[in-house]
Amino acid sequence: MLKPSFRDLLKSSLRSILKNKSRTILTSLGIIIGVTSVILLTSIGNGLKSYVTKQFDALGANSIFISPGKIFNDNGGFSQSSMATAMTTTFTKKDLNLLDRKLKNTVVMPVNATYADVKSTYAIKKSIEIDGSTEEYGKSNNVVPSEGNGRWFTNEEDNKKTPVVVLGYKIAQTLFPKSTAIGKKVIIKGKTLKVIGVVDQKGASFGGPSVDDAVYAPFSVVSDLAGNDNINTFVVRAPNKDLINDTKKSITKIMLEKYDSDAFSVFDSSQLLTSINSIISVLTIALTGIAAISLIVGGVGIMNIMLVSVTERTREIGLRKAIGAYPRAILIQFLIEAIILSCFGGLVGVILGSLGALAINSFFPAEITISSVILAFAVSSAVGIIFGVAPARKASKLSPIEALRYE
Amino acid sequence: MIKSLSKNNSKVILELKNITKTYLTGTNCFTALDNVSLKIHQGEFVSITGPSGSGKSTLMHIVGLLDNPTSGEILLNGKDISKFKEHQLAQIRNVTLGFVFQQFNLLAKTSALENVLLPLLYSDVPKHQRQEMGIKMLTKVGLLDKIKNTPAQLSGGQQQRVAIARALINNPQIILADEPTGNLDSKSGSEIMNFFHQLNQKEGRTIVFVTHDMDLAKQAKRTIIIKDGKILESKNA
Repeated sequence: MLKPSFRDLLKSSLRSILKNKSRTILTSLGIIIGVTSVILLTSIGNGLKSYVTKQFDALGANSIFISPGKIFNDNGGFSQSSMATAMTTTFTKKDLNLLDRKLKNTVVMPVNATYADVKSTYAIKKSIEIDGSTEEYGKSNNVVPSEGNGRWFTNEEDNKKTPVVVLGYKIAQTLFPKSTAIGKKVIIKGKTLKVIGVVDQKGASFGGPSVDDAVYAPFSVVSDLAGNDNINTFVVRAPNKDLINDTKKSITKIMLEKYDSDAFSVFDSSQLLTSINSIISVLTIALTGIAAISLIVGGVGIMNIMLVSVTERTREIGLRKAIGAYPRAILIQFLIEAIILSCFGGLVGVILGSLGALAINSFFPAEITISSVILAFAVSSAVGIIFGVAPARKASKLSPIEALRYE
Repeated sequence: MIKSLSKNNSKVILELKNITKTYLTGTNCFTALDNVSLKIHQGEFVSITGPSGSGKSTLMHIVGLLDNPTSGEILLNGKDISKFKEHQLAQIRNVTLGFVFQQFNLLAKTSALENVLLPLLYSDVPKHQRQEMGIKMLTKVGLLDKIKNTPAQLSGGQQQRVAIARALINNPQIILADEPTGNLDSKSGSEIMNFFHQLNQKEGRTIVFVTHDMDLAKQAKRTIIIKDGKILESKNA
């Protein structure tokens, strides 16, 4: 049987820690900072990942994109070269017809994007991306206005070059702050267009343009605005998820008839998602690794204080031994103290990190995961054990009479 | 060498056989104890005295199993314990021996009761009995009203009485006291000595104490005089 019992040891360790409150807090500070930053960084990493995933889900799961230039390198990351090709190459109506004719059971949607100022009677928004596409694009990209918010444009309007636009939520708010935008007029490049719908709010975006900031119009209308009928991107909707890869192969074959292999890219949202997530993962791991260094520094801090504590309490150790404490009892007592210090630090760190992640989440995506909390806490306790052993061993090996004589 | 003159017929609790203790100080070898042999019988009240540096404290530490002899045998209840492992020695210190120090060695910021209960932490005494045992011991040393006081709130004499209560809590076979009155004024000192007398006479406790004060040493039933690491004389009062 362990004498004293674990509970007795725990009690006496807790008592000694509580007797030195400021020392306890200062000692744990290193661990607190380490655990807090590990949790914060992993939360931000996870938040970013799920944010990106959500954004891509909104793009439509069965969508395949054909873009100019080589976007991906062979390892699945983003390609560094061919940005120039991406800027200069555009697709044409002929490509659209070719794809339409050769692909079965799919919908091919051309997208022509141009940048222009958008004016209303109330306000002006500068350099807004105006995407021209077809009726199917709305459904496929999940941007059809919900009931009461107007409608998406039709293919008939596309054919007739009817000057209509669908506005993103934020743009509509800015241009028509006082009343509904639907039925109102906007002016783009001197042309007057009628607002027929407002896309539902899709949420905050970081960096790039979001659906909330977009303006959509029929392809033919945007061609007129842009002064060309180039196609920047094709969106191809595959019949179902299982056929995505087959469809991609067919598209590549068709496109290769006309273009070099590095003049275009065929990808689906999952591919893009994988690439972006792998970048986020690497960043998260690197940043968390840096944060973890502070955990080790915290451990060294605990070892330092415990060694001082052993020296400070040499006489106490001597006395305990003189009245019957065997070496293991002293070892365990000091080890428990070190573990309590680091667990306390870990616990405070988990609380601070979680609160911090919740606070950050209001303006930047952050998501606390149980696994990161458990990991941070486990590492901090392990640090306590590892760095507590040396001082505890030193204490347990002291000879009783020398310890008692220590001044 | 002068043999023990004790004619005591009662049981021998502790016996030292040819104990030598040498210290290495740099390149010099210093002999603190030189081939010392002695016996402590059940119920004895023994003082060990001698000039400073004579080796009396070293002898006490070896008897108290706080220090290892360089050579020789220590027999406790007839069993040679000089080869015992540290954890076995710890158990003997806990159960069989009760140590009283010159410096009291109470834990600071810790109540008198908790100080008295400290040895029980390392013993087999069931938890629910401990509190009661501690209060009983503190009552015995006359400090029932001070059980919650920390050492800083107690006088030197009171602190030493707490230390004696701590030494007695596990009902040891021998009480060892190293200059127990050395840090006390004469009044408190004689109170402590009276208490030791009582323990010896009323309860038959075996008590061994070290002092440099010859007058104090003579109060014991047997006085061992030590000089230069050797026992000069062992005489009964």
